[in-house]
Amino acid sequence: MKSLSLTARLSLLFAASAVSVLLALGWVVERAVQNHFVEMDRHDIEGKLSLVRNLLASAPDAAALAEVPRQLENALIGHHHLQVTLFAADGSIWFTSGAVQFPPQPRGDFPQWMEWREGKNQYRGVLARAETAQAPQLTIAIAQDISHHAVFMRDFRHTLAMLTALAALLTAALGWVATRAGLRPLRRLAALAAQIEASRLNERLPVAQVPAEIESMVVAFNAMLARLEDSFRRLNEFSSDIAHELRTPVSNLMTQTQVALAGAREGEASREQYREILYSSLEEYERMAQMIADMLFLAQADNGLLKPGDAAIDLGHEVTALFDYFDAWAEERGVRLALEDLRQPDAPKLHGDRLMLRRALSNLLTNAIRHTPRGETVWVRLGSAQARLQVSIENPGAEIAAEHLSRLFDRFYRVDPARQRDGEAGAGLGLAIVKSIITAHGGSVQVTSDSACTRFQLGF
Amino acid sequence: MKILIIEDEPKTGDYLKQGLSEAGLLADLARNGWDGLELACNADYDLLILDVMLPGLDGWQVLEGVRRAGKRMPVLFLTARDQVADRVKGLELGADDYLVKPFAFVELLARVRSLLRRGKSSLESTLLKVADLELDLLSRRALRAGQRIDLTAKEFALLELLLRRQGEVLPRALIASQVWDMNFDSDTNVVEVAVRRLRAKVDDGFQPKLIQTVRGMGYRLEGPA
Repeated sequence: MKSLSLTARLSLLFAASAVSVLLALGWVVERAVQNHFVEMDRHDIEGKLSLVRNLLASAPDAAALAEVPRQLENALIGHHHLQVTLFAADGSIWFTSGAVQFPPQPRGDFPQWMEWREGKNQYRGVLARAETAQAPQLTIAIAQDISHHAVFMRDFRHTLAMLTALAALLTAALGWVATRAGLRPLRRLAALAAQIEASRLNERLPVAQVPAEIESMVVAFNAMLARLEDSFRRLNEFSSDIAHELRTPVSNLMTQTQVALAGAREGEASREQYREILYSSLEEYERMAQMIADMLFLAQADNGLLKPGDAAIDLGHEVTALFDYFDAWAEERGVRLALEDLRQPDAPKLHGDRLMLRRALSNLLTNAIRHTPRGETVWVRLGSAQARLQVSIENPGAEIAAEHLSRLFDRFYRVDPARQRDGEAGAGLGLAIVKSIITAHGGSVQVTSDSACTRFQLGF
Repeated sequence: MKILIIEDEPKTGDYLKQGLSEAGLLADLARNGWDGLELACNADYDLLILDVMLPGLDGWQVLEGVRRAGKRMPVLFLTARDQVADRVKGLELGADDYLVKPFAFVELLARVRSLLRRGKSSLESTLLKVADLELDLLSRRALRAGQRIDLTAKEFALLELLLRRQGEVLPRALIASQVWDMNFDSDTNVVEVAVRRLRAKVDDGFQPKLIQTVRGMGYRLEGPA
């Protein structure tokens, strides 16, 4: 499911906040009004209570007491929402100004406040002792009709609900407008990003004009563009390099064959010439086949198809085997091979693909032997530090200039382009393959060079 | 020795057939999977050379069909896809060896010969001989015209390989793989140097010269006809 748009989300959030704030505010106001009503009612009732008490207290005798109901009726004229009832000790009604029934009260302390509902009306009232010398047995009950409060509260809640709904709609609408306006930089970025194509990868999104919140996103996006641009550039270079590398041998082959076919050759000598041409072609073919195989290997590495496996590999053993292999060749070139094993006894084993690692080490050794002057020694040093394994392959020889070092692992990169076709050196893919293999094994490879020696360092 | 080649690429098929025939091996050629399967099931072949990518019925399916028909001849796969998954699948299905295109013809020939030799009950001799060269595998001694030759371990292994497969042209990659267990192509002339040194010990001062360089292809050890 597609997730809700940012604008919709923010609008909803605005509306929800407005509703919650209004509801909270309404609740507080409602409580305050309610409390105010209660206070007011009590004040009224207490006033009447003291009036009744005063009347009772001012009657000096029984005859005067009998007058009290009449006085009360007079006093209560116009107070039709107020009812006073006086109960005798036996519970019978001694006086009442209305017909409202008081709810039966549990025995308890006086004065006793209560609130009840009778029919459609709501009442608040109090039961209290007369507390007068003349009529101590009387209980004063006062009830006040508070239905109009309830009506007021209902109207109040109604209005609040309306207001809340209206506010929700309004904030949602305003929120929508505000969000649209706020997100305008994002839309502008999207429009800019939509214009970027493979041929225009050098374009960047403007960082200066965007709000702080999306600046980091723009920076990350620009960084991604930079990486893509670099990859594209390498890819383009690689393609043109391939074309270039293949063009030379193919044109050699064509020329050779055309020349061979052009001249009429007969006899034993010319048969030998034909053989020569075929041998020479064969060498070119082999070189091209090797290059194609290497490029396929690199393409696999690029696509993450190199799966090194996890055979336990003893690097010391591998290096010894490679020394064995290169022994005669190195001896012919007057180069000595030496291994120094500085690994701790608890050094971790390397897990990976034996064939691939041999190939990587072999490429490095081949390079080292080739560039070592006669009479010198190629040193392979194995070391370990904590969980890391280190291999360094160093050979004395001419220094590699710093500008070459960083590009040494690039495909088809050669320090000396003139060496390109002298037959001995490969197509310039050897170190790229080394890097792919070491990377596939989760390792790293570095090269340093000074006037004394060149050193390749592998770390796993 | 009859070999069936199943290969749809016309030039490759023709050259394989011609090359094997010139090497003294009888070869039939099928140009698609269906013909190949029919031929393989109805005639007796000692070896199948099978291209993986075939129109119609592909190499895997042909192999399955052949095995289901109860044919147990060795199978050499040719694959253009240099991928581990392919190899694993091929070997699981009962292929005996595989070669990745492009391959050198000598390499193919060497593998074909070793597959054909496989399964033939030949008592492994501990004494290898050609002309006046003798190699005693037990005592690890080499004699030329009765004279002891000092060989390093790898030189001995190299000479043993050449002797065991005398008359065959052994490509450099195969030698590197068999003697040093280096199963990748190197752009160095390591094998060349090693063979040159061995030849200096084995052939220098003796007649006839036994170790020959076959230009552009590899090396061969052969006695006088």
